[in-house]
Amino acid sequence: MSTVLRKEYVVVRDDYAGAGKVSSDVKSTLSSIGIPSPVLRRIAVACYESEINMLIHAYGGDIILEIGDDGVIHMTFSDPGPGIPDIEKAMTPGWSTASDKAREMGFGAGMGLPNIKRVSDEFDITSSPEGTTIQLSFKVT
Amino acid sequence: MMRKSVVRYTLESCAKCMTCIRACPTSALSMYNGRIRVDQERCINCGKCISSCTHKGLLASGSSLDALKDYDYTVCMVPSALINDCTDLDQAGELFHAIKMLGFDEVVDISDVEGAILEEMYLISDNADETASIASFCPVVNALVRDTYPVLQANITPVKYPSEVAAARIRKQHEGKNVGIFNLCECESKLALAKHPFDNPEYETDHALAIVDIFPAVRRNMSEEREDVCFCPEGLRFSNPAMMLQKDEYLIADGFDKINSVLNMAEFGLLNKFRLLQLFPCFNGCIGGHLLFGNSFLTRNNLHQLTSEKSKPAADLSFEEMYSEDVFTRDEDNRSFMERVEWFKKVNAQLELLPGYDCSACGMQTCRLMAEEIAEGHKTLSDCRVLAAMEDRKTNEDN
Repeated sequence: MSTVLRKEYVVVRDDYAGAGKVSSDVKSTLSSIGIPSPVLRRIAVACYESEINMLIHAYGGDIILEIGDDGVIHMTFSDPGPGIPDIEKAMTPGWSTASDKAREMGFGAGMGLPNIKRVSDEFDITSSPEGTTIQLSFKVT
Repeated sequence: MMRKSVVRYTLESCAKCMTCIRACPTSALSMYNGRIRVDQERCINCGKCISSCTHKGLLASGSSLDALKDYDYTVCMVPSALINDCTDLDQAGELFHAIKMLGFDEVVDISDVEGAILEEMYLISDNADETASIASFCPVVNALVRDTYPVLQANITPVKYPSEVAAARIRKQHEGKNVGIFNLCECESKLALAKHPFDNPEYETDHALAIVDIFPAVRRNMSEEREDVCFCPEGLRFSNPAMMLQKDEYLIADGFDKINSVLNMAEFGLLNKFRLLQLFPCFNGCIGGHLLFGNSFLTRNNLHQLTSEKSKPAADLSFEEMYSEDVFTRDEDNRSFMERVEWFKKVNAQLELLPGYDCSACGMQTCRLMAEEIAEGHKTLSDCRVLAAMEDRKTNEDN
């Protein structure tokens, strides 16, 4: 597989005002290419959820969007920490460590990671105190 | 369904200032050879370009009243947006009489149909699955969702426009007669929902009239004489977000930027706790339509005065009358996914060569659109004014 299109984004630490900007761009990029709606819906949900996670739980991070010539869309979310101590717990619906401030803003319902996994065709997560990386893929065709 | 832009361009009045090009939320406007071009595929009839133009270079007009003579019997439909302009029933009665004096055989209010459609939307949204329904009363919202938020396409309530439902009822009532049905329009987008003047034969309404166009004549006809009128309160709410049924699970938003942000959030799946999204691109809703003239802050509280004395219930409409099968579909793109990705890359390659100021001086709204034009071979890099200026400066410095 080779990459036919690649876009990189940065999520700035504590930039709540900019929350969702990357996801909006990913969505409009894929929409202008003409990704079918059912797939676009899943990517939008997963991307937004992951972007917000970087903001509330991590110190910002990088997002990479790649489209392969096999018609698969890959998304990589990597942050520089502080890592998820117990991934199994984090994958449990309803479990959340979000701060009160984040909850007040409507985030942190504990459905983030389970939701991302549910809407992705492939889901992979690795985490250490040095950072967390989530890799998602979506089949378009 | 065919797409028709109602925006008309007048070359003589155009100052070529590009303001309209920058104002267009769907990048439908561009300038070619010194003339504004409106892309029929992209235009959603929101009227932003028309209100941005200070030179009257862009206009939207309805049919003229001359069309009245083409019919044996003529009916004028009055939308709730205009009725809300009246302070009480007496004034509304005078308004109806003055409209009739323009030459109509009958002037009807359609608030009972509007009320019934609104109630049906509440019903649809209550019975929908976990996602929020999107009220389909505004042609601009329907077009915006189809083109920009395709993920939400299936959430649009599949009911017809009230003017269409009402027109079909009037047609049936006068079966066998050569009846002409005219609709008064409070905004540009509704001008397209009629056979004329924009040649959309699929509609039941014969002619769309712009309220501002006929109003000078209506004012002159105003007198003590009045028709006996009475309205349906639910119908009057239809055009007025300030008076709509307020419930925790109904989201009501007005203003173009606001509804864009709501639709964006809905696409991310963040608004699933709502049942119905009621979105008005015009500020203060339909009573703030561009083809009305009153101040919508003054008119939006008239509802109680208009319905406290007497009122009528919502119309009793059948399923067939209300529901629509076609309408909001998107044109199929026949290119394969990979072809579309390749096209996107080709455009991106051109985009990297452009300055990225989005200044519109070339006639295209953004550098991305210019890159598309170059990739399609309609324009070249030398059409970019900024690059040309840079080139000139470099040549001068070299000399």
